[in-house]
Amino acid sequence: MATLKEKRTCGQRCEDFGHFVWNSENGTFMGRTPLKWIYISLYYVAFYVVMTGLFSLAIWVLLYTISPYTPDYQDRLKSPGVMVWPDTYGEEIVEITYNSSDKNSCVKMSNILRKFLEPYNETLQQQWNNVSCTRGQFHIQPHFTAPNHTKWSCPFTQNMLGPCSGVTDPTFGYNSSRPCVIIKMNRIINFLPSNRSGVEPYVNCTVLTGAENVQDIEYFPQNGTMDLSYFPYYGRLAQPSYVNPLVAVKFSLVKEKEAKIQCRVVSDVISYENIHDPYEGKVVFYLSVES
Amino acid sequence: MSILQTCITLSAFLFAQGMTSTFAAQILERDGPNELKPPKGTPEYVKFARQLAGGLQCLMWVAAVICFIAFGIELGRGNMTSFDDLYLAITLIAVVVVTGCFGYYQEFKSTNIIASFKNLVPQQAVVIRDGQKNQINANELVVGDLVEIKGGDRVPADIRIVFAQGCKVDNSSLTGESEPQTRSPECTHENPLETRNIAFFSTTCLEGVATGVIINTGDRTIIGRIASLASGVGNEKTPIAIEIEHFVDIIAGLAIFFGFTFFVVAMFIGYAFLEAMIFFMAIVVAYVPEGLLATVTVCLSLTAKRLARKNCVVKNLEAVETLGSTSVICSDKTGTLTQNRMTVAHLWFDNQIHAADTTEDQSGQSFDQSSETWRFLGRIASLCNRATFRPDQEGVPIPKRIVVGDASETALLKFTELTIGNIAEYRNRFKKVVEVPFNSTNKFQLSIHELEDPLDLRYLLVMKGAPERILERCSTILIRGQELPLDEQWKESFQTAYMDLGGLGERVLGFCHVYLNEKEYPRGYNFDPDDMNFPTSELCFAGLISMIDPPRATVPDAVMKCRTAGIRVVMVTGDHPITARAIAANVGIISEGSETVEDIAQRKRIPVEQVNKRQARACVISGGQLKDMSSDELDEALRNHPEMVFARTSPQQKLIIVESCQRLGSIVAVTGDGVNDSPALKKADIGVAMGIAGSDAAKNAADMILLDDNFASIVTGVEQGRLIFDNLKKSIAYTLTKNIPELTPYLIYITVSVPLPLGCITILFIELATDIFPSVSLAYEKAESDIMHLKPRNPRRDRLVNEALAVYSYFQIGAIQSFAGFTDYFTAMAQEGWFPLLCVGLRSQWENVELQDLQDSYGQEWTFSQRLYQEYTCYTVFFVSIEICQISDVLIRKTRRISVFQQGFFRNKVLVTAIVFQLCLGNLLCYCPGMPNIFNFMPIRVQWWFVPVPYGILIFVYDEIRKLGVRRNPGSWWDQELYY
Repeated sequence: MATLKEKRTCGQRCEDFGHFVWNSENGTFMGRTPLKWIYISLYYVAFYVVMTGLFSLAIWVLLYTISPYTPDYQDRLKSPGVMVWPDTYGEEIVEITYNSSDKNSCVKMSNILRKFLEPYNETLQQQWNNVSCTRGQFHIQPHFTAPNHTKWSCPFTQNMLGPCSGVTDPTFGYNSSRPCVIIKMNRIINFLPSNRSGVEPYVNCTVLTGAENVQDIEYFPQNGTMDLSYFPYYGRLAQPSYVNPLVAVKFSLVKEKEAKIQCRVVSDVISYENIHDPYEGKVVFYLSVES
Repeated sequence: MSILQTCITLSAFLFAQGMTSTFAAQILERDGPNELKPPKGTPEYVKFARQLAGGLQCLMWVAAVICFIAFGIELGRGNMTSFDDLYLAITLIAVVVVTGCFGYYQEFKSTNIIASFKNLVPQQAVVIRDGQKNQINANELVVGDLVEIKGGDRVPADIRIVFAQGCKVDNSSLTGESEPQTRSPECTHENPLETRNIAFFSTTCLEGVATGVIINTGDRTIIGRIASLASGVGNEKTPIAIEIEHFVDIIAGLAIFFGFTFFVVAMFIGYAFLEAMIFFMAIVVAYVPEGLLATVTVCLSLTAKRLARKNCVVKNLEAVETLGSTSVICSDKTGTLTQNRMTVAHLWFDNQIHAADTTEDQSGQSFDQSSETWRFLGRIASLCNRATFRPDQEGVPIPKRIVVGDASETALLKFTELTIGNIAEYRNRFKKVVEVPFNSTNKFQLSIHELEDPLDLRYLLVMKGAPERILERCSTILIRGQELPLDEQWKESFQTAYMDLGGLGERVLGFCHVYLNEKEYPRGYNFDPDDMNFPTSELCFAGLISMIDPPRATVPDAVMKCRTAGIRVVMVTGDHPITARAIAANVGIISEGSETVEDIAQRKRIPVEQVNKRQARACVISGGQLKDMSSDELDEALRNHPEMVFARTSPQQKLIIVESCQRLGSIVAVTGDGVNDSPALKKADIGVAMGIAGSDAAKNAADMILLDDNFASIVTGVEQGRLIFDNLKKSIAYTLTKNIPELTPYLIYITVSVPLPLGCITILFIELATDIFPSVSLAYEKAESDIMHLKPRNPRRDRLVNEALAVYSYFQIGAIQSFAGFTDYFTAMAQEGWFPLLCVGLRSQWENVELQDLQDSYGQEWTFSQRLYQEYTCYTVFFVSIEICQISDVLIRKTRRISVFQQGFFRNKVLVTAIVFQLCLGNLLCYCPGMPNIFNFMPIRVQWWFVPVPYGILIFVYDEIRKLGVRRNPGSWWDQELYY
């Protein structure tokens, strides 16, 4: 014990350490002879090679068992999320604030929307989704009838959004006090947004605060509906050219006033009251115009 | 003694009035109360603070501070959503504080045990003040007070005797001598410890009365000085404390190293400073085994509890393990090895030595009592004896009854009570006429009795005393009831018997009697004890009775066990060398056939100097010899002679012996009871005090207290200590393993940018909730082999946590667990839509709060919250994987060498319960509603519990192969690298 309790000087400690690094008596380097170092290294190399092999095998088996078309579980995707564009964030939630007389601000907003609408270009849609769908009905496809072992996707073109399509008004109303926002509902494989054929989900925006600042709300397409023919979604592999149906909302605002708006996709199968997910079934954002 | 004190002594003596109360009050004010100041305790808040400032705790404080800073910065940026850092900081602090409180409570409880030993009743003393006898509390006594003491009192201070009548004191608590010492007014020696006219504080007066003047009070008394000597000896760190400190240093160092490396890597990759700091903190949390300290404490206190049931109270928890690594026990003789009770051991009559039963419970064989001589000898022993039983003890077994009288008379009384019967009644039949008590000049004691037969008018004179003196006074000897003339032949056989018994270290008394002629000494004759107007020679010798403080029945076996366990037992006693040697030989400290240098010299008939010292296994060294030895010589002696006995040693010498043993690299346990032992108890690696005979000072200085004063309990302690060392090793190996699967998620997260597989709070749940019980349950594991047949561990070589243990746990089992975790993680991700390759590099998008439509491998779009709950699912899945692997881990840790099948799966019931508990708790965390938002646990799919199972089986099979290799090829490369 006495030996253990000895107060060792720094010099002694260094010497000890030096001895540990290279001990000429036993020919050991860091506690092992070079030969033993080789052995132990080989052992560990073998160990990790085997373990990595087993791990790779496990992952391979996993991927082998997984369908490429539909996920095994959708535990977290019980109800789709909803988002608004332009998606300019403030501190916590989306804040769409622009200056109608400032060109830059207008361009910034319209660019976001233009970029967002790129896939909805008329020509692109014609090229990809040249199919006519029966409106008002779910587009159920049990078989891969489309070319390349895929399924058909219904086209959704920009001009379905009317004045908010950006075709007639490339500024999307951001040069005035009547801006357009676009509402998109997230896609979920095999999700049917309504439990009855014929009843379509639609977007409904309500003004939470500052109701007096919003004079009018218009929806495009008509009534803000999402046609049932866009559902269900069959996944990236089955529907590589699928586009989400959109709803554009045009607000008429009183200048230099702010309004907090909630846009909800109304359907009896889409929940919107999950306090832990503010984007489930609805989106809340601030809208204000300066001049 | 200062002049003032002398004057006070004189004046008090001259006037026999004592001091005036007022003067006494003045002195009391000057000197303070007459009591030993308790050793300075550490203030409670310091003790508590110490619990909060250990190595790991400091690291956790740092982590908590980083969390706070991170939270503060986030808050400053106005980001109100991330309260995670705050929760984590609070949890970390809570962990530190709770484990701190736990440790403090343990310490507090053990201190309380000690406090309960203290005698709370204040001692009283009879003092003469203002010419009147008063009874006052002993702590109010002052120097110069005139006090009276009588048989049974504790001496209230150091006293100079001015008057004494048959006063004897027991100085054993001070010097270790068990012989009662006479006290008289004459000064007989210059040394105050040797002189007869001073009685010391805390010794007891056995019989007689005395009056004396107080010369020292409180801490200035001899005992006070020894007590302060004890507090001067520094507290040594226990080996386990050193081990754990060593280990914590390494862990802390590695944690900081890993943390810092990844901090740098993160900064290099391009993370923000704040993020890098959080990584650093997370790595610290993942790498530090938060539950380890609690586990170690609980394991130790479980053992302490188990020991307490076996009559060992452990004051200092870590002492349990120290006991296990003990290689030398320096044992006191009286009370520890022996029963501390004079008992009749042998009788010599009819020219034959008869052995009496000395066992504690009278279970031994008795001698042949048919001889006539025994009848006479027994009669003398019963009658010529002033000792009596205290009344009202009918229910108590005879050996346990309390007796008024000195040690040898007590022994004789109990012996005769056992062999003859009711002595009080027996004595009544032989009415005592006169008695002459023992004194040091004539060295005998006699009494004259009437005979029980009322017709026989002779008087019976019975006498006992020092055998040679008794023999001188005898002219005849009783052989088989016949009186034969005491010729040379009988004298010679007497001498042989006397030498034999003396050589056994026994105290021998001779007994004789004579019937007084009824004509010369008719009824009513006036026997005068001072003049001795009756014959005290020409008596008839009856026999010898020898007494010894016999060894405890369990001791020889315990000493034997120590020996097989590679522990040396060294006897250190204040007793006489011959007695010491006899007891040592009796209990096996000096084994059969071992010789001392003197024995060899005698056998070979050569001078002591010529004997090769290495041939002598045994050695008896007395205090006098020790005084002349240098420390090197003592080391040499301890090295050369495996069987050592030190006799007639002083407290300081005991300390020297302990130090010498420690110089030789031994871990020394010291047993002791007296105040004189306390310095050695403190100096020892583990001090063991006696619960019954021990003084408060000894108990204060000790680390452990034997409630039954039994040496055999120490052996139990050693066994438990060794077991806990082995089991702690297993526990620590178990606890360390999971740090790797906790750490790797972060490393992969930082380097490969996958969504975080395991969160900090989940890690804390593993560390502090689910894995605590299984790691503690390993403390209940039975020993793998007979641990009492192994040598004590070498504290320099056999570390608690060695390289093999850490490397095997971290880089093999821990690695397998990590693979299990990642397999399960990728399974959960892939089955929910995120393929492994997509996960790589996904981090920045995954964690983007503003991204509400991130596409998975199937093209589905996820909001941030949906992703967050998916991340929680991953945490839970990783948690479950670690749990499943840890079940396998706890099973493999049951043994280090033998197969688990040999050890038995279900033998350790606690472990089985722990596994069930762990699973239940895991399920509760996963499936209890509300968990996702409080502790980030998600109800996961049942099949994900089974993904890690193959890895668990792999761990088990791999470890069985490892153990098989270790068993089959001891000493091989495999054994060296893979046995921990």
